[in-house]
Amino acid sequence: MDVTLGLLPDSPAGDDGGGVPSGVSTTVKSILTKEDNNKNNMVMCSEVSSSYPVGDQHLGDLELGLGLSIGGGGGGGGLKGKVVAGGGWSQYARILTAKDFKQNSCSSSSCSVSIPNSATSGFKRSATDSVSPTNGNSVVGWPPVSKAHRMPSLANENKSPTGNRISVTEQNKSKNRTAVINDYSNEKARISDKKYHSVKVNMDGSLIGRKVDLNAHTSYEMLAQTLEEMFFRRRSSTEAAKSSRLLDGTSEFVLTYEDKDGDCMLVGDVPWQMFLSSVKRLRIMKNSESNELAPRFQENNERRRTDVV
Amino acid sequence: MVYSLPEEVLEHVFSFITSDKDRNAVSLVCKSWYEIERWCRRKVFVGNCYAVSPGIMIRRFPELRAVELKGKPHFADFNLVPDGWGGYACSWIDEMSRAYPWLEEIRLKRMVVSDESLELISTAFKNFKVLVLSSCEGFSTDGLSAIASNCRNLKELDLRESEVMDLSGRWLSHFPDTFTSLESLNISCLGSEVSFSALERLVARSPNLKTLRLNRAVPLGKLSTLLHQAPQLVELGTGAYSSGIRSDVYTGLSKAFLGCKELKGLSGFWDADPSYLPALYSVCSRLTTLNLSYSTIRSPDITKVIGQCPNLQRLWVLDHIEDSGLNALALSCKNLQELRVFPSDLYAADVNVTLTEQGLVSVSQGCPKLQSVLYFCHQMSNSALITIAKNRPNLTCFRLCIIEPRTPDYLTHEPLDIGFGAIVKHCKNLNRLSLSGLLTDRVFEYIGTHAKKLEMLSIAFAGDSDLGLHHVLSGCESLKKLEIRDCPFGDTALLANVAKLATMRSLWMSSCAVSIGACKILSQKMPMLNVEVIDENGSLDSRLDSCLVEKLYVYRTVAGPRSDMPGYIWTMDRESANRI
Repeated sequence: MDVTLGLLPDSPAGDDGGGVPSGVSTTVKSILTKEDNNKNNMVMCSEVSSSYPVGDQHLGDLELGLGLSIGGGGGGGGLKGKVVAGGGWSQYARILTAKDFKQNSCSSSSCSVSIPNSATSGFKRSATDSVSPTNGNSVVGWPPVSKAHRMPSLANENKSPTGNRISVTEQNKSKNRTAVINDYSNEKARISDKKYHSVKVNMDGSLIGRKVDLNAHTSYEMLAQTLEEMFFRRRSSTEAAKSSRLLDGTSEFVLTYEDKDGDCMLVGDVPWQMFLSSVKRLRIMKNSESNELAPRFQENNERRRTDVV
Repeated sequence: MVYSLPEEVLEHVFSFITSDKDRNAVSLVCKSWYEIERWCRRKVFVGNCYAVSPGIMIRRFPELRAVELKGKPHFADFNLVPDGWGGYACSWIDEMSRAYPWLEEIRLKRMVVSDESLELISTAFKNFKVLVLSSCEGFSTDGLSAIASNCRNLKELDLRESEVMDLSGRWLSHFPDTFTSLESLNISCLGSEVSFSALERLVARSPNLKTLRLNRAVPLGKLSTLLHQAPQLVELGTGAYSSGIRSDVYTGLSKAFLGCKELKGLSGFWDADPSYLPALYSVCSRLTTLNLSYSTIRSPDITKVIGQCPNLQRLWVLDHIEDSGLNALALSCKNLQELRVFPSDLYAADVNVTLTEQGLVSVSQGCPKLQSVLYFCHQMSNSALITIAKNRPNLTCFRLCIIEPRTPDYLTHEPLDIGFGAIVKHCKNLNRLSLSGLLTDRVFEYIGTHAKKLEMLSIAFAGDSDLGLHHVLSGCESLKKLEIRDCPFGDTALLANVAKLATMRSLWMSSCAVSIGACKILSQKMPMLNVEVIDENGSLDSRLDSCLVEKLYVYRTVAGPRSDMPGYIWTMDRESANRI
């Protein structure tokens, strides 16, 4: 294997040449150098040549003027820069070398992030998703498999030997009949092992449903808060947010869920973990429709809170 | 000479030019060609629905018959884009309903479509023919009822992988008895059962039906009935492919498949029972597409099937195929162009299928026409990648996902830089690449140097520093879409390549090291970009510029900042970081 490449910017652009391909080549001054007079001039915006053939699909879509295109850097090598004077950014007004990239620019102490130089360490974030997984299971959206091919049922699928004439679903049915609790706790264990356990939430009167990750919550309070933010938050409203809470009955809506038996239950009656293992989907129901849940509802009606969401 | 040709002649000439790229080229020749071309353009593809507004499109192309739009970023498929992000088809459909009464085709991908919009489509466009909703959401079977009831000339209804609020299966019965123009129907994503008799009658009165993809709920026992009604089918997606031990079902199915002389593609196969597979052997010799990725059949059974498919061009399968099955594939299917191997059990602690890099190496050796690869596995080595690259320089799409992030070469424990480097060096026409495993900045150096035709690049858990991102942005001339997650790429590289972003469709960066301040600067410097920060942790106003953003989505646009963002998306506008 003889791929040898020098370090940027000393190396020429590779052995097959990264230069401007054939096609219309329009040299355009960068937008930055054109428009910035007094502002901090950023970086290396160079004279760039169009590396896109004139008929580029996306240029057409965007209705740019005839022949004008803003190309990316011509070639895989270093940036040929114009030295642009500027205030605090003058450190960038020179040809960038590998050294520049090794320094990181994040120095805030309030953000707990460290940018590593070694290839193997991850880095911590204050955000919810972990980026230092010890195994592929605990990261949101990884491995990158779309919903159609995400088959949790396969995890429990009976791995029957080939040539077995009994269908897999039949085997599973009999398994379920005789060992419901066991399968169920397996399923639950798998669900809680997964970082991501999302259920759909629909609100009466709203056509678009949402999804909420139950594993990101540790209590009914937290869940209710999230749901209130999702469905009742107004972006630019001058009216005060409704001081309503889904759990205590002061809202015009009630939070219910569909359990594994298909029954509609009021959220909050059972311990949180038990709720997690039996909830299939959530529904924010209008008060008027919750008559069958009357007893608890009336009891909660007594309490009122004034917390603003 | 050219300027003396009358418009009608030019228009006639242009009518032979159908590819978008060529049409765009034509429109850039001169003003009069631009004018003539825009009046006779019949179809448009908008890769990012926020890059342009419906009004601008309608003003430029007043006589469209077909529109294709894409909404959410690709990483939405993996739950990285929160709900409510956007991609609403509503405003597009509203405006098109007024501007294009003769619109025939609408194709949407990753967009939110409402029942109202579907109703509008069904009534506003008198000659509506094709509706494709790929990975869309926001509508229910009520919307489908409207389409069924009102679209008299419908040819294609394809709901692939959409999330449909499945209120009932009755919608299918709303196709009137006089409706006979159906050519393609894909309901594979629907959960609930449709009325079988309605389906059967629909199939029976659709002589032009070529593609039929059923949902899981259609029982295997009824499949033969449908096949007898539609022996002209070219593409079939079965429902559940098991039925207990029923020899009558088996015989009926065999006979039905025997009658399908045109069948070229098969999919479906949920819950597949291997004992029913021989029923379809009679069509195998003609098969060019086979999708077994929803079935858990094991390697020996898979091998038996593909052994009968010498003309196979596209195979989608689970990793149950194992190396042994892939070896067999390499021997039997010399016309193979596309291979996708999906992971079967994402959450198992131990790996119980023997699918390694060897399977992919075999296929790369044995299948000279292989162009497109999507491969999930647990281990990889540089030597395997180098072998694959040398075997198959004609690869155009290479997506490798080593399931455990940052896994090194299992033989040498080195990063996989030189392996992927070989891929980009040898495969000169590579236009799509997804990386995985342990990777340093070096791999990006190779990519920037060699991957000149690369249009889409997906990066996760890779790189050491901004230098990696800089290599990509400064070197990949053809880059259109770049999506990055969990990499230590930050402000320096981003701000050093701002002009590049205007040549690309979009850039996605999540869990990286980009600061709010950099986003503000980027937005100030590049007014033709929408710089959207997705952050569900509360207002950005109270945070320092040096704070990092959760997710960043940058795309070029001529439509300005969008007005339909949910509360957790901040656009960096020119003066400040306030939300619009």
